[in-house]
Amino acid sequence: MSGPESPWPEYARALTDPARAPEKPEALGDLRVLDCSQGNFAALFCSSILAEFGAEVIRVEPPEGDVARLFSPRGVLHRGTGLAYLVEARNKRHITLNLDIAQGRSLFARLARHMDVIIESARPGQMDARGIGYRQLSEENPGLIYAAFSARGQFGPRASTPIPDYDTTDQALSGVPYTTGEPEGEGPPESSVPTKQGNWVAWYVGGGWGAFAVMAAVVWRWASGRGQFIDCAPPEGEMRFSDYDVHWYHTQRRVRERVGALNVCVFPYTLIKAKDSYSFIAGFSDINWAGLTNIIGRRDLAERYPTTKMRIQNAKALHAELETWAADFTSQEILEKVQDYLVNKRGPGTVATARLNRPADTLAEPHWWERGVFQKVEDPDYGELLLQAPPWKMSHTPPRIKWACRPVGADNEAVYLKYLGLGRERLRALRAEEVL
Amino acid sequence: MESYFDWTSKLFDRSLVFDKPEALRGIRVLELTTLVLGPTTADFLGEVGAEVIKVELPPGGDTMRYVTPEATFWKNAALGFFPENHSKHHIGIDLHTEAGKDLFRQLAVRSDILVENFRAGTLDRWGIGYRRLSQANPRLIYVADSGFGQWGPFSQGRASYDAVAQTVSGMIGITGFPGRPPILCGIFIGDWFGGLMAATAALVALHHRTKTGEGQFIDLAQSEGLIRSLDWTWIRHGLTGEDREAAGNHDEALVPAGLFACRDGFAAVAAPRDAEFQGLCTAMGEPGLATNPHFATLQARQQPAHARALSERIGRWTASMACAEIEALAEEHGFAAAPVVNAEDRYTDEHLRARGTVWKYEDPLYGPMVEHGPAPKLSATPGRIRWSAKPIGWHNTEILVRLLGLSPARIRDLEAQKVIGRWAERPGAKPPDDWSPP
Repeated sequence: MSGPESPWPEYARALTDPARAPEKPEALGDLRVLDCSQGNFAALFCSSILAEFGAEVIRVEPPEGDVARLFSPRGVLHRGTGLAYLVEARNKRHITLNLDIAQGRSLFARLARHMDVIIESARPGQMDARGIGYRQLSEENPGLIYAAFSARGQFGPRASTPIPDYDTTDQALSGVPYTTGEPEGEGPPESSVPTKQGNWVAWYVGGGWGAFAVMAAVVWRWASGRGQFIDCAPPEGEMRFSDYDVHWYHTQRRVRERVGALNVCVFPYTLIKAKDSYSFIAGFSDINWAGLTNIIGRRDLAERYPTTKMRIQNAKALHAELETWAADFTSQEILEKVQDYLVNKRGPGTVATARLNRPADTLAEPHWWERGVFQKVEDPDYGELLLQAPPWKMSHTPPRIKWACRPVGADNEAVYLKYLGLGRERLRALRAEEVL
Repeated sequence: MESYFDWTSKLFDRSLVFDKPEALRGIRVLELTTLVLGPTTADFLGEVGAEVIKVELPPGGDTMRYVTPEATFWKNAALGFFPENHSKHHIGIDLHTEAGKDLFRQLAVRSDILVENFRAGTLDRWGIGYRRLSQANPRLIYVADSGFGQWGPFSQGRASYDAVAQTVSGMIGITGFPGRPPILCGIFIGDWFGGLMAATAALVALHHRTKTGEGQFIDLAQSEGLIRSLDWTWIRHGLTGEDREAAGNHDEALVPAGLFACRDGFAAVAAPRDAEFQGLCTAMGEPGLATNPHFATLQARQQPAHARALSERIGRWTASMACAEIEALAEEHGFAAAPVVNAEDRYTDEHLRARGTVWKYEDPLYGPMVEHGPAPKLSATPGRIRWSAKPIGWHNTEILVRLLGLSPARIRDLEAQKVIGRWAERPGAKPPDDWSPP
């Protein structure tokens, strides 16, 4: 080693700046994935992750297109496709295939021989009944990794339920809405209820788990040569995230209830009303509480409420004290006060705060653009689209967006020629027979 | 041929989990993290078979050891510490000492994956960051978890927690009821989701390493994980300039889909596909709705005024029904419905028990434990829980002797110099009162 080292942020940026991704290799360039899910953004996010890391992902849609292309707010379609789908079609090839008829299923089985991963979201047992489930496909292709998404899973007393998998029902089953929202009596009855997250959180969590499991299976396949069946239920994915809920019930028979913007374990870890907007603010360990009471000039509160238990028991009163202080400042001023305390080391403790952002506020902050979190993608078929980029910065094999989406069946020629040697004439005939 | 569900119940038979191999056999994860984001990253890898060594600074250790509901400890442990710390080896090293840093470097050269969540640049300054460790171990996959990333304007000097990520990502802004004060997600969603994203990238990096022999550096910011999960929020802003608002308990893209009050609780109902919607209308005793031009197609139903009108009608119907009745009708008529469940419902659910989603086991220190088991079920290499989180430094001897080959005299030395250490004698840190040293 020679010469002075560059400061960490400079070094880290040089190492991982996504702007340099095109110069670097892709980690999953050797993986082929067939995603034949329908109307399921858990499955779509799963295949998006694999596609962002370089896998060749082929979406198999019915001839009329995946119904997921219609899941869009206010029915907005952009060049024929809904907004949500345009976000989760990145780097994927798109072919059509009619799995309702025997010829279509036989083509699917032939394609599956060439694949490393298959992703589906059919009712449990449906693919098997059609002769194209894991049981059948793995005979020809023992290295196959097969990930199936469903609300209740592929085994267990309730697995045979025909109920389809949607984010809203997944969220309900995860137990998270039960603990989210204003407690009864704190506001109007219609809004003091169990509350779901605004985004498709259960679907995204479920898809994330699917990709995690597929990658674990890929790693094991190196050692064993064998593939496997992955049963992924999005509600169980989000349930795994439910903190200590089950532990509390197991040890003390207590059920966690809704506490709005408070927290059951600590105070403050909360949202407070500021002059212009709201701020999140945390300083819950004893030393950080001391820091926060220094910042707001209320050391008396640190003396009167020195323990976590006392702060939780008096959370509502203390929350009101914080809001009294915050009423004179904008969220930005609160952030500046906290940063001044931290950066200039004006006292003990660490306090975290943030302005409550509307999405437009987040888009207006240069930090995210500098880090490539948002990207304006120039797509050959769909034009310029603002997309959220993959969330990882990586030194050697960074993920990336190469294109946004393809129209229904747009890759039929390329894919069927590459894997099954089918030329244009044959494809025309298959289309005429409604196989494609 | 055997019926599908007979076949799957054998394929995923829970009683065989420990007779099957583990996906990450032979992979060692070195964890130097606190709270939830970092510990979950390592925990998920541990569930699928990695050996996880969790390094904490004695005697207090991980802050999460003191986060427990109503500040009430159980057997001297914080309940908040268990769900992200399974089957780990706990070692206490004071990294402010040179000898402590040396021990840490020795562990890092024997590890495949390192996970840390200090503020950006801290470990680099301590001489145990990626710059140093990757020279000693070029195969190392180094995962740096943080709130705002390792570089960029917000990355320096700004503290972060899960809820900071919820706040800055826009997630809170699009959740809850318009006109009401903002609410936090009931769980530490930014941490857990970030941990899952980080663990997934570590597996991707392992795949690359198998092919090339090279490790790499991974920078994961939990705020950026949540931004990624906000589905159509950003693309719509890009195309129309509209800023997404909170929409209460109704989904704006899947219509109808929402949470509804019923006679005995709350239930989710979803029927966005036309056939499902027709089934719902039949179940509601209003088959005519399915042909009403305001509701007949998904695109018509997605119009805000139509969606609102539909929600009101469904809400009137559910109010008179029991959750179980709605679920039974959903099964019969082919739409989706589910109760809004709580911890007790999950704990007592036979289906979740049979799947190992609610997982009972016996821990040598804490006795019978019930937790959420691994989420995805892998037929050949199922994930598993082996033991519960332990006090700081619980496995000091195990790791220092069996892995690093230190002599008892050397260990006594390091203890005397306070380079290695164990738990503080206070709730959250120490073992249960009825425990006595073997």
